[in-house]
Amino acid sequence: MWGNSRFSDILGLNRRNQEYVRPFNPPSAKRLADNKISTKKMLAREGINAPEVYKIIKNRKQLAFLDWESLPKGFVVKPNQGTGGNGILVLYGKKKGELAWIRPGGGYITKKDLILHIENILEGQFSMGERSDIAIIEERVKNDPFLKQYSYKGVPDLRIICFNQVPIMAMMRIPTKRSNGTANLHSGAICTGIDIGTGITTYSMQMNSKSLFSDTYEMIDSTQDLKINKKLSGIQIPNWDNILEIAVRCQKASKLGYVGVDIAIDAEKGPVVFELNARPGLGIQVANQAGLRWRLEKVKGVQVKSIKHGIRVAKNLFGGEIEGSIEAISGRKVVNINEKVTLFYKSYKANTKDENKGREVTRAFVDTGNLTSRISRSYASRIGYFETLKRFEYIKCPKQFESFKDAQSYIDEYSKNSGTDVNIIRLAKLFEDGKIVVRPVIIVKIKISGEIKDVEMIITDDTTHSIVLGRSDLKDYLIDTSKTFK
Amino acid sequence: MTYTPFTQWLLNTGINQQVLELLLAVMVLATIVSVARYIIGTKSYGIYAPIILAIAYSYTGLRYGLAITLVVILTTLFSYTILKKIRMHYIARIAVNYCLLAILLVIFFIIVKKFGLGLENMPYISGLAVISIAAISDFFIKQYVKKSFKTSVLILFSTVAIAALGWFVITRDVVTNYMLNNLWIVPILIALNILVGQFTGLRIKDLFRFKSVISNKDNVGK
Repeated sequence: MWGNSRFSDILGLNRRNQEYVRPFNPPSAKRLADNKISTKKMLAREGINAPEVYKIIKNRKQLAFLDWESLPKGFVVKPNQGTGGNGILVLYGKKKGELAWIRPGGGYITKKDLILHIENILEGQFSMGERSDIAIIEERVKNDPFLKQYSYKGVPDLRIICFNQVPIMAMMRIPTKRSNGTANLHSGAICTGIDIGTGITTYSMQMNSKSLFSDTYEMIDSTQDLKINKKLSGIQIPNWDNILEIAVRCQKASKLGYVGVDIAIDAEKGPVVFELNARPGLGIQVANQAGLRWRLEKVKGVQVKSIKHGIRVAKNLFGGEIEGSIEAISGRKVVNINEKVTLFYKSYKANTKDENKGREVTRAFVDTGNLTSRISRSYASRIGYFETLKRFEYIKCPKQFESFKDAQSYIDEYSKNSGTDVNIIRLAKLFEDGKIVVRPVIIVKIKISGEIKDVEMIITDDTTHSIVLGRSDLKDYLIDTSKTFK
Repeated sequence: MTYTPFTQWLLNTGINQQVLELLLAVMVLATIVSVARYIIGTKSYGIYAPIILAIAYSYTGLRYGLAITLVVILTTLFSYTILKKIRMHYIARIAVNYCLLAILLVIFFIIVKKFGLGLENMPYISGLAVISIAAISDFFIKQYVKKSFKTSVLILFSTVAIAALGWFVITRDVVTNYMLNNLWIVPILIALNILVGQFTGLRIKDLFRFKSVISNKDNVGK
């Protein structure tokens, strides 16, 4: 199962530190990234938006003379040299008539407790190496209304890893009830992979709360603890190109060769940079279900001439998560998110009198979150696979499986026996309405962008889209997101 | 026991045999921690905590050492949970924790004396070893302040497991005698650590962490 060639595409902590962090991140640049105040100054010089700083508290004297009344209702308190989100306090508003502030969970923190928290920051309780530190009181980012619907209380943030001025991989961290409104993956926030080319979300993972090891994830397909849970794949991140540009500008300005840029989308200001990370974590590979090392190696020697060039390289190399060289990709055709396609019936015969009767034009939804393309049950029946579906029903496949492992065992067992129907080329396991199910896969002739090809399609239950094109059939195309919601 | 000329020369030069044995044990333990971190991926409370724990266990015996560790951790958890609710400065809180820990250790020794609990030799345990084990309380709190309970306990468990493994290795007479008579092992240990320090491959823990990425054949190379 674990072939060496695939392991070599994954970036582990040892290699990250030895081959990327140490050689490409000079100590002065690391010091800048580890110091939030210096980072903010640098961002201001570059004209990049960051949360506004209200107060900087360097010692107890400054804390004693702090004018609390001058602070807005909601703000964030954080240590200047904190790590892993430790010591960060988000305060949503002020309790009426009292010097107390509302916390994400709905509880309150009094002025006395807040002072104590700041004193602990000054003492270095949350800082690297426990050196004495500085406390920052800064603006609270207001949640973008579009992304707000996916998040519990807090603000989702985007992590973009850049190397050699090329955005390599991206993910969104979505606060959940389990994470208590924070975007911390270890606390239970959701991480969702993002297709670099389009800014559309792909896979979503959440840390397994039952696992003994804190670093194992389980794949999910929708939010987990909202009143109305939403599907997480296929979300178009607003201002995607702008976000990529900001990430690369941050890298260039910080002189960090290998950096993780954390960006949130503010309802009023748009993208704002939270912080730069000189040793970004590797969980992003799980969110994207892809290896970082392969991508890093690909851009190692590339001469990037400008920020725009770096983004173009990233989109061409990793966009649509398609493997291939820039030269090969430059000639690719463009498809829309809702692409017009011609579907050929099973009975279709070319060069006959009834040729036109054997095909129809329809709309296919392009979803990079799916690997294999899909066709709805009723559509499959209509184009001639009714009998195939009937025969699949005879084998009485369980309606749902406990885990992907169980589903795979069923598939393995099925493939050992002779096939149910010649049209079913294999079985596939997938998430459908929160259940793990096994569905038949057939080959359907389809015409995309003027090109006829045989496409493997999983027959799924009826959904909004009759035909969904997955990544494996989008290798030769660029996806135009400008017509996403038209 | 007869030693090789070089070892004998060292001992004759004024180096205490026990000190030499301890210094060799430190080197072995440091190597175990280094291999555990970079090859296996086990986190521990730095390098000092597992080394000092393993040496303390070698003085107390593993059973007594683990019993004291358990008392230290349970006391720390109990006292820190209570102290967290009281508004006070961080260092002062740690100081109160140590006071409570000392009191509870005394109570524990009284209970052991009275009921035995299979730990009849407790009065003969070196005080310095007990204090060394008690120091793990500080390491635990420092983690617990920043990380979740589960992560802190997991790191504690790893630290104790590494220390127990270290204890097993350094308390084998055959290992100690071999090391004393084959001091060429020292540069070998240094070389091994340099190799481990340059290892860029995946840690065993990474294999589990990225299992989902690797198990889907279409995922990785994209």
